[in-house]
Amino acid sequence: MSEAVEIPEEHDLDTSWMENMGEWGANARPGKRGLTLADIQVGSYGDLPEVSDNMTGRPRGAAVRPEAYRVGAYSVHTLSEIWLDNAEYLYEEALQRQWSSATDIPWHTLEPLPDDVEEAECFLCTFFNEVEFVAGDVPARWIAKTTPDYLEARNVLVVQVMDEARHMDVFRKRALANGGGLMRMSGATSGFVGSIDLARDFTEMSTRLHISGEGAVLTMFRMGELFGQNEAEKTMYRLCAQDEARHVAFGVMHLRFLAAAEPERGEEINCYLDEAEGQLISGQQNPAGALAETSEALAVLLGGGMQHYDEGHKKLLVIRRRQLKEYMKRVMSAGFGERFENGRSPIPERYAASA
Amino acid sequence: MSEKLPTEAAVTAAGEADSKTIEPVHGVHKPKYDWMGLTNEWGVRVKPGIHGLRLGDLNVGIYGEIPEFWEDQTRRPRGALSRPGIPPLPYSLRYKHEMWADCAADLYEEAIQRRWIPATEVPWDSLEVLPDDVERAVCQICTELSQCANTELEIIAYWQDRMSYGYFEVKQFLATVTFDCARHMEVLRKRALSNGGGLGIESRGRVNRMILESSGGWTEAVVYLYLMRGTYITRLLTGLLSSAHNDAESFIYSHMLEDHARHLTYGYDHLKYAATHRKGSTAIMRTLLTIGEGHMADELKDGVVRSAMAIIFGGGIEGGRTRGMKRYLLLVREFLEDYLALCRWLGIDREETLHPMLKSYLED
Repeated sequence: MSEAVEIPEEHDLDTSWMENMGEWGANARPGKRGLTLADIQVGSYGDLPEVSDNMTGRPRGAAVRPEAYRVGAYSVHTLSEIWLDNAEYLYEEALQRQWSSATDIPWHTLEPLPDDVEEAECFLCTFFNEVEFVAGDVPARWIAKTTPDYLEARNVLVVQVMDEARHMDVFRKRALANGGGLMRMSGATSGFVGSIDLARDFTEMSTRLHISGEGAVLTMFRMGELFGQNEAEKTMYRLCAQDEARHVAFGVMHLRFLAAAEPERGEEINCYLDEAEGQLISGQQNPAGALAETSEALAVLLGGGMQHYDEGHKKLLVIRRRQLKEYMKRVMSAGFGERFENGRSPIPERYAASA
Repeated sequence: MSEKLPTEAAVTAAGEADSKTIEPVHGVHKPKYDWMGLTNEWGVRVKPGIHGLRLGDLNVGIYGEIPEFWEDQTRRPRGALSRPGIPPLPYSLRYKHEMWADCAADLYEEAIQRRWIPATEVPWDSLEVLPDDVERAVCQICTELSQCANTELEIIAYWQDRMSYGYFEVKQFLATVTFDCARHMEVLRKRALSNGGGLGIESRGRVNRMILESSGGWTEAVVYLYLMRGTYITRLLTGLLSSAHNDAESFIYSHMLEDHARHLTYGYDHLKYAATHRKGSTAIMRTLLTIGEGHMADELKDGVVRSAMAIIFGGGIEGGRTRGMKRYLLLVREFLEDYLALCRWLGIDREETLHPMLKSYLED
């Protein structure tokens, strides 16, 4: 083939950039779980800045270009604000465990239910359809504010937005697939002071969203085997629980990291937990909460109908008890267990009373 | 209009039956069942088709009514009964023409079906040592494309929580797009760090800035993100796929292209929707494009991506100076032909007024 190709001078090859690249010679190798994010933390590419000065959106470890525009208005740019130690693992696990609400739920197992049970299920689905994407909207907002230097943590939040979209979708599908429909919204997640939406600090948001909000929902989803009326519903709750467990793990691990990195913020975090516990016990955001209308629907489902409401309520108390127990475990794991020993938290007393 | 279901009577009856036949449990308050019977439409029974139970299948009866303006600033699911007194949230995109595309629900399901996993599905063992100049060029392109994906992710994340719930299909589809973007950043980083190379130099960021600064509306962002930059990236990925050095690269580029095609389908469809449903929108798009073409021309003039692509196409620096650069210039020409055709389809003729620097790529 002839090399006599005429190229205009303005399109001459420029190779000057080859002298100014990131660290060279990286040779990450796949392990038994493939080539994971953890595997590519090689050389300086694994170095996480405590404070990121990256305002241009460059990938971590890329060479700096002095004339690049400072387009990244990253308000989250210190490691302790957002980091967690197992972000790579959570991200890779999330990719492995994605599912499809269209094809992975055995919709054919749905069968007509008694009216009261169908209504209870649809009411619960309306609630979840409404609240699931809080956990989509809010992390999305923080993703846009977070420096790409912390890409591993940011990627976990991106997958969470994806998960929540699927949750919103699966509950809508269930409500409209078995002779029912959507019911009245709860309004549980609107813009009240102290709500997930309005938090102006990432850790505050994460405490409300991941630890208390999603934590309570996770316990419930795990009990889906009890109140699911057929295999479709049980599968739906099981798969949602799998996703939710990762989101809760993000919150716990982030809080743990923050507690170690910035112990001086301990009292502030305890204040968030005080508020979160109020929500957990009686708030509308906890579908099993004492004042939540959804509690009645849950009792109907757990009992198998209105005529067995009391029976269902007994089972609901078991769920509430388990919510408290799992909440305490998470908070202890995050490094804030002292509040359960020094009398600050009302949860141990509630837990004991629920025995 | 809300309606009470016939079950209300059954509720009362069952409640009475309870108190007679079931021994009350100590501490259990009598249920009020205030939530029962409150629905806009009951009796919906959507059945799964051959592709399962898809989001678009749910648009039946009132649940499929998608208004031109979404009054509600809460998270009320479309079709659910509202509740008075709920404080509003700052959803600023409330007109359908500000985000809608008819294909969003189908694209959402397609994205889920076509998910892929860089860690385990890319045949990483097929990577082989490349000549240093070619490895550097590949790594540089990985760096550049990663930054493009980052920009796409950030601008979507910025707008996503401003979109009203009435148009949830779009919100959900965009969730799959940001997920794709995260995966693209991940896989490009993995490729750059697994074959003896590393990351390159960051982008100058002209077009990234243009996209990120398009804060006047989501449609404005889509003009730059998809009609202009996205159309160019499609050509870049197509070129990279045809010059892939191994199965790993083929897998990466082909799957990125597949994802990217979905993003563009939404973007083009949305612009068409906006153009046909909002008076004056094509004139705004024309103005945006006039400004944007200048920035795009500047970015194309930048030597880094151009040279890296030429080196990949030419199989090294020497080949890059001649046939590689020729092929890259052809790629830019093809991009501009695509771009002009899309503008025509949208009702915005740019042929005559195309930026002179861009026009020069179309001349022999």
